[in-house]
Amino acid sequence: MTNALREAVILPVAFLTVTLLGGVRIADATSLVPPSVFALVLGLLVVRVAVQSGTLVPERLLGPSRSALANANGLVVLLALWLASAQVIAVLIPESGLPRMLFALFLLILLVNTAVAAPNRTRLLRSLAVTFGTLFLLKFVVLRELSAPGTGGLKRVLQTLLEGITLGVLLQPPSHAAAGYVALLSLVLFLISLFLLPAQTASRQGGHLTRQDGLLKRHHDA
Amino acid sequence: MSEDRADRVTRLAGLGFTIAYAALIGWLFARQPQTVAEVTGGLAATIGVYSINQQAFADGVRFFRNDQFVEARMAFARADPATRDARTQFYIAYSFYRQGWGRLYHDDALYTEGVAAIDRAIALAPGGRLVVDDDNLQMRTGEELKAELEAGRRREASDFNPMRLFRERK
Repeated sequence: MTNALREAVILPVAFLTVTLLGGVRIADATSLVPPSVFALVLGLLVVRVAVQSGTLVPERLLGPSRSALANANGLVVLLALWLASAQVIAVLIPESGLPRMLFALFLLILLVNTAVAAPNRTRLLRSLAVTFGTLFLLKFVVLRELSAPGTGGLKRVLQTLLEGITLGVLLQPPSHAAAGYVALLSLVLFLISLFLLPAQTASRQGGHLTRQDGLLKRHHDA
Repeated sequence: MSEDRADRVTRLAGLGFTIAYAALIGWLFARQPQTVAEVTGGLAATIGVYSINQQAFADGVRFFRNDQFVEARMAFARADPATRDARTQFYIAYSFYRQGWGRLYHDDALYTEGVAAIDRAIALAPGGRLVVDDDNLQMRTGEELKAELEAGRRREASDFNPMRLFRERK
């Protein structure tokens, strides 16, 4: 895969597809929901930790050494990454009630903490996969099952009790079964696309550790 | 073709495709289409090649004039599956008005759907000006029909005027 193909076609299309799929809300009527302002802010944090960890080297997308066309491609990738990050976060945050507030707060703390911890690329990708995967399971499996209309008498009784105890702030509006599949697809596509971003790499060359981000030419003695 | 040239072509084509794709996504978010027909019809209308099914429209008008409003709306929906034609949406709104009209009271639910349809029709009309050239209709503009539908939904002292029994449906 050439850099041009990756920057001009694969990454923008993948991130824009995540933005589209992440906005799909399937209920009685299907709607497309843009990310909230809060999700956009968290999306910026994701971009920031991606840059900080070396998952994304912005200079490999935008810089004076690149042609105007290549810079335009790079700018599109950065913007699409930001929107896709925001949309993935919006997908993972529940629709209403206490879970919405708790998930949003958790994501904010997690991303700030990740920025402070300054992980490397591998650790960041692993951390995002585990965190986003867990939030996906909590929202689309646990909360969805809790909120699904009861079919048996016992479930209805338990649901009514739960609703009473939590004053109705825990249960979510019913969603279509396909919603989970669409969300999973957008999440997986986002993580794969993050992996494909032009990253900072390191390799050993004749006893020297060389950083291959195209910018830093420092050589350290091994 | 040299590698540099191939790269430039890839970058240029990619940029063009990405911009078109982003515009499509923006359009989808703005329009919120519910069906594939609405997506294709909306895109066709954007580039000016959308047309309604004239046979279905004629069927709809025939049903409408026979006071078969449910059948009329089904035919109009077939004529304009993407809900992109102002005139068809006007007739749909008018069918809600006529079906919901009553001497003693109007059907609020039907009138509400009528308002939604006439709002769609006005939004689709160029410059918001909607005039339907049909001698069988007493209201031929979007404004008249919308005002009548909204007046029907309001609760006013005039609702208790016994003279309303003698009013005629438009």
